[in-house]
Amino acid sequence: MRPVDDQHGMEWDRCDRCREAMSAALDGEAAKDAAAEQAAVDAHLAGCPDCRAWQQDAAHVTAITRRARTGLATGGPDLVARVVDHAPGPRARWRGTAARAGLAAVGVAQATIGLVSLLGAVTHAHAMTDPLMVLGAGIAHATHESAAWNLALGVAFLAGALWSRHLAGLLPALGAFIAVLAVVSGLDLVAGRVDPARVATHLLLVAGFVLGLAVVRTVPRPGPGPTPGARWWRRDERGAPDGHAPAVADRWERESDVA
Amino acid sequence: MDDARITALALRARDGDRAAAGEFVAVTQQQVWRLLVHLADASVAEELAQETYERALGSLRRYRGDAPARSWLLSIARRVAADHLRRRARRPVSPATLAEDDRPLGHVSGADPAESVAVRHALAALDPDRREAFVLTQLLGLRYDEAASVAGCPIGTIRSRVARARADLVAALGEHPPSAERPHRSG
Repeated sequence: MRPVDDQHGMEWDRCDRCREAMSAALDGEAAKDAAAEQAAVDAHLAGCPDCRAWQQDAAHVTAITRRARTGLATGGPDLVARVVDHAPGPRARWRGTAARAGLAAVGVAQATIGLVSLLGAVTHAHAMTDPLMVLGAGIAHATHESAAWNLALGVAFLAGALWSRHLAGLLPALGAFIAVLAVVSGLDLVAGRVDPARVATHLLLVAGFVLGLAVVRTVPRPGPGPTPGARWWRRDERGAPDGHAPAVADRWERESDVA
Repeated sequence: MDDARITALALRARDGDRAAAGEFVAVTQQQVWRLLVHLADASVAEELAQETYERALGSLRRYRGDAPARSWLLSIARRVAADHLRRRARRPVSPATLAEDDRPLGHVSGADPAESVAVRHALAALDPDRREAFVLTQLLGLRYDEAASVAGCPIGTIRSRVARARADLVAALGEHPPSAERPHRSG
């Protein structure tokens, strides 16, 4: 009797697939190779009275639910007045522009600091005798290096104000930089190794970071692009392929996670 | 009601146009409410619809317009419904829940005259994933790819779930022929 059972199992499976195809056809959602699918359905229907009956029942159920859809214009509460205040206000765009302008100003200031300290370091370099070498760098070189960093951060702020779409990528690095700098500045201040005025110039970085966050949050980033906020949409888009993904390529292959 | 117009409204609302925000809510609220009636239940659909719009409008500034605004909104409604069901499952014996569920059925605003009692019961009895796929595609009229984007699953899964929901409905309604079940509620 086992061959019969196997036969039964296959038969049931084939009915299932046939019904899935008929269901999609009822919704006008035929697969890409609609003709081949229709041929397979027709061939199956010719020998399966159960599926022929199911097709009629399914069409009937669909007609009933379609009637329910046309009743969609009625029912449901009117929420407009209750929720519209949650929408961005008229100042939303202005706020974004202000944040970008502020970021650009911080960028100019930061780049100026970098430039000034670079020039200062260059003019002082020949007078230095470098009594201290730390990790292979004398004071002159360490000063050059920090001046270069300050200049680069100023340029990054300016560029971020201009191309706000790329700004989000800068923020993790900048945040880490500020966190480390805050700790070592605090230690150096306590030990008297640094002028408070010098530490005060680091506040520009904090201002740039805060303004950068504000720009990222307020300025819309049009167009597709890998940004942190876009991640879940990208996943959904991959989940809704246009017919090339395996889920649709083989229309007989059902998802294993179907309940 | 077309997607391009809804998306255009959402983008204008994002840029601070309150009138567009109001119109965006006005043209989408029935679908949102309808979805929530079926994903959660009618007694809380209004409350959840309000929560959906509060979340959606609050995060509108981060909406980039690269997915249709209606799918974006419905996927938020779906998450609101899921959060609600999770909350409710966590406190099944609290008095507040009982009071909420004790609302008289006659006052339930989700009693949709367009649906027959039999169809509503059959829908409510469906497996949640199948019901979601069925409601999105049949009652809200979404295409399979749009429903897949809302539900966050492959398009083939929607296709299969819709077919299984249909089969379940055929089985449920077949015992009582649906045409005979709509005597006083034709709409």
